[in-house]
Amino acid sequence: MDGRTFFRAFRGGGGKNGMNSVGPNVAALARTELVRLTDVTKVYQGGITGALNGVSATIEKGEFTAIMGPSGSGKSTMLNLVAGLDRPTSGSVSVGGTDLGKLGEAGLARFRRDHIGFVFQFFYLLPNLTALENVLIPAQLKGSSATERASELLDQLGIKDVGDRYPARLSGGQQQRVAIARALINNPTLLLADEPTGALDTHTGEQVMELLGQLHRDGQTILLVTHDAKLATRNAARVLSVMDGKIVDDARLESPERAPSEVIRVRGEEASR
Amino acid sequence: MSLKYGVLGLLKGEPLHGYEVKNRFEAMLGGTWEVNIGQIYTTLQRLERDGFVRPLGPRGDRGKLQYELSPNGQKALDQWLAEPDSGPQQLHEDIYVKLLLATRIANGDLHGLLARQKRAYLQRLRDLNRLEERARRDGRVDLARLVRGALLHTEADLKWMDELSSERFGEEGAKTE
Repeated sequence: MDGRTFFRAFRGGGGKNGMNSVGPNVAALARTELVRLTDVTKVYQGGITGALNGVSATIEKGEFTAIMGPSGSGKSTMLNLVAGLDRPTSGSVSVGGTDLGKLGEAGLARFRRDHIGFVFQFFYLLPNLTALENVLIPAQLKGSSATERASELLDQLGIKDVGDRYPARLSGGQQQRVAIARALINNPTLLLADEPTGALDTHTGEQVMELLGQLHRDGQTILLVTHDAKLATRNAARVLSVMDGKIVDDARLESPERAPSEVIRVRGEEASR
Repeated sequence: MSLKYGVLGLLKGEPLHGYEVKNRFEAMLGGTWEVNIGQIYTTLQRLERDGFVRPLGPRGDRGKLQYELSPNGQKALDQWLAEPDSGPQQLHEDIYVKLLLATRIANGDLHGLLARQKRAYLQRLRDLNRLEERARRDGRVDLARLVRGALLHTEADLKWMDELSSERFGEEGAKTE
């Protein structure tokens, strides 16, 4: 029995079941462009931290893309521009065919509300509202009652029992789940996450990343800014590396099924005497 | 670690013949260390010569010859298990030597070299994550732990490439000539 045979044996599947059916059938989805950045620059007064210096990129519908780079490289700036939270100094940003530069402040607010879900490192829940009420804010801004969907989301994210609690009585992981539910309440076209695991311990961070992975498998387009390459590559099949305000690499990763020995080789010193 | 102690450890459970040692060893390592049967026999013969194992039953049909752990073998195994890993750090990445040489060669394209290496590490992280996921799904917690170690090592490699990418090369090269 070689390593490959063994691996097939221990994962308990033949050729048919097992890994082939797991994960989204990305090839079957039509490749639709969702985000386009064209020659985007962003200059901040009084410093170059976070500035962008000629960024062009496209993101397709259904992709899980990670943006990585050192602090101050401009990765969060990219996310904020795509979210319509900020405007570029020059160049253009379009999402779902809408040129954000053509929208006024009210139009931009409407765009954010209807199309963008945003998850932050430090959750930013309103302390005087319960978890459920926090989740409902974006829906109420839209003028819709979404209590049923909010409950479903809390259930789906494993926090239905804490809906009536205030943020101060929630753990970090629970608060981030509430924040994710809030981001999803209006069925956003695009989910943006800026260091969503940065304030969480390793285990909780993994759980939150697993949740994002599930959302992605259900079809959600996700753009993630993170320092943690281990976590990012769990879900992201594409990694944009940003440095000094530029995209220096656009890595599309493969996801083939590999035998353990193709991935890890434990090396031994051969007994020589 | 050498194969030697792996074999001793397996024989602590029960007497085994060569093929059983090979299969159990590979299964224990979750397919991350493949050995050929020749290595197993060589190792068993050396262990027998050194008095750490002894054959059970008559010699003859070598394939079926079972070995058991001797008291000396037990002592050697216990000693090895109690010892921490020490000695020099084993770095076996060609990338460092490539960097050394590339800094000395005009058009060495250092940043291209680093970027390609970084990409390879990202792909490795992706592969490791998928392996960990499968191992956990299959209840192979032990293999998942090994993958976790590999993930952390690869993360360190990636950080190293990032550090190098932000450095200026060339100035220091001449001093070491």
